[in-house]
Amino acid sequence: MAAAQTRIAATAVSDGAVISATGLTKRYPPDVTALAGVSLAVRPGEFVAVLGPSGAGKTTLFRCLTGLTPPDDGSVSIDGREIRRRHVFRGTRSDVALIFQQFNLIRRLTAIENVLVGRLARVATWRVLVRRFARADRQLALRCLDTVGLLDRAYTRADQLSGGQQQRVAIARALAQDATVILADEPVASLDPESAATVLECLRAAVAAGVAVVASLHQVEFARAYADRIVALRAGRIVEDAPAAQIDERTLELIYSKNGGAQA
Amino acid sequence: MATGAGAYPEPVIPWLSKSRLRLVAVLVLLAAFYSASWHLAKVDPAKLLSGLPRMASWTGKAWPPAMDELPVLLQRTGETIAMAAIGTTAAGLLALPLSVLAARNVTPSMAVYYPARWFLNALRGVDSFVFALLFVAAVGLGPFAGVLGIALHTWGSTAKLWAEAIENIPLGPLEGAAVTGASRLKVLAFALLPDVAPSMVSVGLFWWEFNVRASTVLGVVGAGGIGQELKNSMDLLLFPRLLTILVLILVTVTVIDQTSAWLRRRLE
Repeated sequence: MAAAQTRIAATAVSDGAVISATGLTKRYPPDVTALAGVSLAVRPGEFVAVLGPSGAGKTTLFRCLTGLTPPDDGSVSIDGREIRRRHVFRGTRSDVALIFQQFNLIRRLTAIENVLVGRLARVATWRVLVRRFARADRQLALRCLDTVGLLDRAYTRADQLSGGQQQRVAIARALAQDATVILADEPVASLDPESAATVLECLRAAVAAGVAVVASLHQVEFARAYADRIVALRAGRIVEDAPAAQIDERTLELIYSKNGGAQA
Repeated sequence: MATGAGAYPEPVIPWLSKSRLRLVAVLVLLAAFYSASWHLAKVDPAKLLSGLPRMASWTGKAWPPAMDELPVLLQRTGETIAMAAIGTTAAGLLALPLSVLAARNVTPSMAVYYPARWFLNALRGVDSFVFALLFVAAVGLGPFAGVLGIALHTWGSTAKLWAEAIENIPLGPLEGAAVTGASRLKVLAFALLPDVAPSMVSVGLFWWEFNVRASTVLGVVGAGGIGQELKNSMDLLLFPRLLTILVLILVTVTVIDQTSAWLRRRLE
């Protein structure tokens, strides 16, 4: 029945979606089905939180959305163009930015240099080799750091920053990249609640600038406070897709209860 | 809580058990190997005993060290250091691209990785001494042959160690830079280099230091440097001059070792 529901959702994918997934299915032989026909569409300026217990398929969904893992079935489109499998070093797209749970900044570079990484795809190779960025790029990087509230730490090395600050630098890098979509897999899972709130506010700032954000979160309260829409995954299927305001205790029971929500 | 009659059963090993036979076989093989080696190496302690007084008399004759040719010897020492510096630097420049190809995690393809590794192993397998011997025949006597010998051997060794340094870095930051859509070269230059640079410089300094030591003997095959003077003095039994040379080598190697160690400590 859930499969039928998602198929309906697939046909209901609205126009103007900046990123959309249709019928994503991913099996890990012999007997794990990480995703079973997941469809999802996100519009510009929309913040979608993906909820679900461990093993529900959140990480697989993100890997499929980024093209790092090819789905067995179904497809992902960005701005209406289907994306194909990409190797970490090949055929990457600069309009999709990724935010990682472990930040993945270059530790020995300063905050502003890490933000400038977002410009690498557009900067001449010789400039990268001699590490001389144009003034316009440097100014843009500073503006992005200002947006995430870290202008005063621009020349601090990444490994001197706290976890929350590092994640905000990662968001600034995504902004510098001119990304239309930010995909964040557990962006605040390794942060304390206060830093997590600041990071999510920065993601909201990106949404306000017209970026579509898809973030998987563990804490329901954060999802309700910061997301526009909540998508709940359970055993590889979408069991709920609704505006954040409509998510209530009964829905949460459906997502997280041990008995599969069948009796809920 | 066992009481009295200590009759716990224990495994009984028969005299001619498999494990005992194996042990005897191993001991016999080892004995055979060492006795064969003893004969092949023509070890003769009696010769050492009769030769020791001769060496002692040389030591006596070597004092005081000859100082009249000090300027020439110093120039030769400079030659040795220069050979090591140019050879190691050239090796480093050649090793830079190859270490990327030979690092499993960033190599463009396994079809490049394996040939790169084989090539580096071949370079590493031939000592700089042997390379220098070949180059003396090709480009003639003198330090340039030594430079080429050092460069080739160090190329292989450095690239292999650098590749291992690259393989040990966390991939996350590279992924983070790569998914912005930047090309491979840009990602390697901007994201990989800062991470591995300290260990790469450290490895480079180590090889420079190693090559100063190695190039003291390169002269023996005619590849220039202080080693050439060492061989000449030995051939002519000029013991005071030999002593000066040995002291010069010792001082140079110590100073270079200490400098390199100090620089490498500062990198950490």
